[in-house]
Amino acid sequence: MGSGRTEQHRDEYRMSICNASFAVSCHTEKKTGAETLQRRESLNRFFADVEKRALRIAEISIRDRDEALDLVQDAMIKLARNYAQRPVAEWTPLFYRILQNRIRDWQRRETVKNKVMTWFQRSDEDGDADPVAAAPDTAGRTPEEQLEGQEAMACLEQAVTALPVRQREAFMLRTFEGLDVAGTAAAMGCSQGSVKTHYSRAVHSLRDSLGEHWQ
Amino acid sequence: MSEHNDETVDDVFAEKAFAEKARHRFDDSVQGLDAATRSALNQSRQVALKELGSRRPLRMTWLPAAGVAAAGVAALMLWTANPTLEQKAVPGAADIEILLTEDSLEMLEELEFYSWMELDEQAFVPPELQNHVG
Repeated sequence: MGSGRTEQHRDEYRMSICNASFAVSCHTEKKTGAETLQRRESLNRFFADVEKRALRIAEISIRDRDEALDLVQDAMIKLARNYAQRPVAEWTPLFYRILQNRIRDWQRRETVKNKVMTWFQRSDEDGDADPVAAAPDTAGRTPEEQLEGQEAMACLEQAVTALPVRQREAFMLRTFEGLDVAGTAAAMGCSQGSVKTHYSRAVHSLRDSLGEHWQ
Repeated sequence: MSEHNDETVDDVFAEKAFAEKARHRFDDSVQGLDAATRSALNQSRQVALKELGSRRPLRMTWLPAAGVAAAGVAALMLWTANPTLEQKAVPGAADIEILLTEDSLEMLEELEFYSWMELDEQAFVPPELQNHVG
């Protein structure tokens, strides 16, 4: 009789332990789920904020919008897969580091492809003109002002494309993306001193090539 | 001396003004992106978000490298164990060397990046970025 009571106590004790551990496990799962959801939301906001500028930066670098879209998507996927757990403040330089690596890889591949094409004496006869966005202007400018802006940007793009790679990266990350020197250095994988040098040379070069009257 | 300083100050102002103009033009071009491009970006973002946290285990990334290394060792053992293979094996050995070199370069590239991440974690504190990202 006494031993039966002891067994009952033991069972009750085991049950209480099971219940407690189940409650802890549920709480942990809920917490992890909420954290993941929050991280996903933060990442969504980050991508929404950065994606359009990133696309234009990639497009200016490689002169092809479709390819630029692919590179931006690759960079987004890599950041989400591998670095989403990093502090949010580090996402911008990390994202641009990944994107710049993708752009460099693409340019290397293109160089090799072009050499092979030249070797076989094939000409790339795509015939596709560079598509100019014909969307209505959201800033309420007159068509003349729009045209002037597009021409000025086209000149700037051409001049930026003609810059050496590191100068171009420094200029676009500092000016277009608005990264500071430390962030640009992290994105480019070089020292802050190098960033300052590349940036300064880029600006001088661009001012020389575009002239005083560029607006 | 004073003239030189004035020139430098002017130059700094001119640089800033130029950068400001360039940024303005760039922002306009970003605003002018067409609906199809915006939609494509949105789709890309959704694809990326699905990949959130689906990082492959690190050892899986080393598996191909380990395979190539094992193949290299096996080839080396066969080569040294059988002297008659020596003459025939020259082109094969060169191929293996190329394969190993390419793979190790790829790994080194990743290692450099991981190493940068570690250094970054210790040394890089970007307070300005905290305002920028959000």
